[in-house]
Amino acid sequence: MGGVEHEDPPLKRVKVSSEESDSFSSVASVRELARCSSSDSMARLLESQEDDEVVGVKGVVKKVELVRIIAEALYSLGYEKTGAHLEEESGIPLHSAVVNLFMQQIIDGEWTESVATLHKIGLIDENIVKLASFVILEQKFFELLVGEKVMDALKTLRTEIAPLCVCTSRLHELSSLIVSPSQIALDGTSDQQLRIKSRKKLLEELKTLLPSTVMIPENRLVLLVEQALDLQRDACRFHNSLVEEMSLLSDHQCGGDHIPSQTLQILQEHSNEVWFLQFSHNGDYLASSSSDCLVIIWEVKVDGRISLKHRLSGHQKPVSYISWSPDDRQLLTCGVEEAIRRWETASGECLLVYEKGGLGLVSCAWAPDGRRIFCGVTDKSICMWDLEGKEVECWKGQKTTRISDLGISSDGKHLITICKENMISLFGWESNSEKFIEEDQTIISFALSKDKKFLLVSLLNQELHLWNIDGRVELVAKYKGHKRSRLVVRSCFGGLDQAFIASGSEDSQVYIWHRISGELIFTLPGHSGAVNCVTWNPANPHMLASASDDRTIRIWGLNQVDMTENGKHSTGVCYCNGGNLKSSIL
Amino acid sequence: MGRVFVVDLEGRTYKCKFCKTPLALADELVSKGFHCRRGKAYLFNNAVNITVGTLEERSMLSGMHTVADIFCCCCGQIVGWKYEAAHERSQKYKEGKFVLERGRIVDGFDSEFYIDTHPTMSDAEDA
Repeated sequence: MGGVEHEDPPLKRVKVSSEESDSFSSVASVRELARCSSSDSMARLLESQEDDEVVGVKGVVKKVELVRIIAEALYSLGYEKTGAHLEEESGIPLHSAVVNLFMQQIIDGEWTESVATLHKIGLIDENIVKLASFVILEQKFFELLVGEKVMDALKTLRTEIAPLCVCTSRLHELSSLIVSPSQIALDGTSDQQLRIKSRKKLLEELKTLLPSTVMIPENRLVLLVEQALDLQRDACRFHNSLVEEMSLLSDHQCGGDHIPSQTLQILQEHSNEVWFLQFSHNGDYLASSSSDCLVIIWEVKVDGRISLKHRLSGHQKPVSYISWSPDDRQLLTCGVEEAIRRWETASGECLLVYEKGGLGLVSCAWAPDGRRIFCGVTDKSICMWDLEGKEVECWKGQKTTRISDLGISSDGKHLITICKENMISLFGWESNSEKFIEEDQTIISFALSKDKKFLLVSLLNQELHLWNIDGRVELVAKYKGHKRSRLVVRSCFGGLDQAFIASGSEDSQVYIWHRISGELIFTLPGHSGAVNCVTWNPANPHMLASASDDRTIRIWGLNQVDMTENGKHSTGVCYCNGGNLKSSIL
Repeated sequence: MGRVFVVDLEGRTYKCKFCKTPLALADELVSKGFHCRRGKAYLFNNAVNITVGTLEERSMLSGMHTVADIFCCCCGQIVGWKYEAAHERSQKYKEGKFVLERGRIVDGFDSEFYIDTHPTMSDAEDA
């Protein structure tokens, strides 16, 4: 179905009323000329066009089609004269004579005639003819009902609509309207204007039903332009800010100054390696954990400064994972092969300690309803607990590994975990169904996108693989460049619309790739130890945080010198002030 | 050091003598007849939880080979070497395989201990 929905299509070119103003008469006369010439001459005109003629460098744009959509655009913009002139000068009619007649008959409410003309258009698909007839007669039916000609409406329903044998459920709805006409959503009343409007709407609907070669969809040219703009935006490697206007005059391309690439703050509160880092869903807090067994909740202030809010102590082992509750009011922290603790964000108080006698817990995740938690156990099973600390369910067997992360789908029904060295299982715990992602390398860790439709898998051979897990499970992209040979080094999605992939690296740098193209766009030096984890603020595409073996956390932001120099960027090309950037752009 | 990524092995394994990190499965054992300066060494199809050092040409009793020393990823102790390439046809079967020194590993079952005073490189001689 081609057409674009518009509230008020200004289809002024079709004759609206029999009283024409003089300004339209020249248009009408031209159109009369076109129409009055016999169908033979029209056919001759069409044949004389080389239907295969193409325009443009690539040779894929057919001239006839281009002229037709330009004509349609002109009419849609309200330029009747120019539209008609184009049709005449090019010899390419927007619509054939039959179609023009058909459209006029619709506007004039000549229902029977329009259905007859419909059959003359020469549509191959019988079903389309029937559906189109149905909607035309449906309009007739409504107008009769509204005009209180109930018997005529009934007759139409019985003798004209029903025999079509399509849309039977709609047919029943219509017959029930005869009984209680007050239920009709009146989009056409006895008022002339409203009736015209409703008929125009019918015409729009017919445009979506009929093939686009027969009736050009509304605003087709504008739609194509919008598609091109979308593609430009997707291809823009540095696109990380909301650009107000996109110009048609030149291709859109951002410079690198909208990507966080400068260290704005160094947080030094941990006394040992910082292993994990995660912004809360609302971007107001940052939680970090370390091999010093401490977890810290930081607050992200309005001006972008980060300050310490709570030190959460209690774990006896290094803390390797943190999971924020869906409402960010609580968080889970996991000590390596130890216990899981649940804390309250506001007070920093430990609400509950989850333990399993004789075994250690290795990973944790919140259910999307915030009422249950899942965790991986050293005996490779997975457990589900409630908020009171009661174990609700346990899945035994080789469900997870001792070092695996645990993820959960947005409906809470699938657990995502590394079940074997080179396999990730998407485990439907309620349905007991399982889907697998198989890699040919050992899997180190993974990260989920915000919409939970994509999985970023880190592999032994220093590659990041992006998998689509929504519907058909398939490999979508690969990212390379960072260094990982011994440690668990984590990566994440981030930036505007999660258009970027970021990762830590054993060479002490942060790596950033453009997600769609796979291109490495930034490496950020600064840390003096392996960068174990990165997290991008979900609420601020210009804020990135990294955790390192050098015991610090770095907060990265926009290169502020550049911002003041260049000021606001308008459409089109944004220039990147390469000399001032502290990092290298690749 | 960060959080070291350690693979778990199921079944009977040979572990690093010093930190007990599993290094190879008994099932992957190819030959017990290798030697190094410090004593016996075992050839395995595959080894895990190791980091590979730099490649170098080494002359061994069985000929010239391209090898790299391997280290336990957790404690960093040298545990053996990896055959990257063999220059002689008859030795090609070793390519891609790992040698673990008997003195640096412990079997899941027995508990022999070797006290080792020699540092760094190990040379290999085949039995």
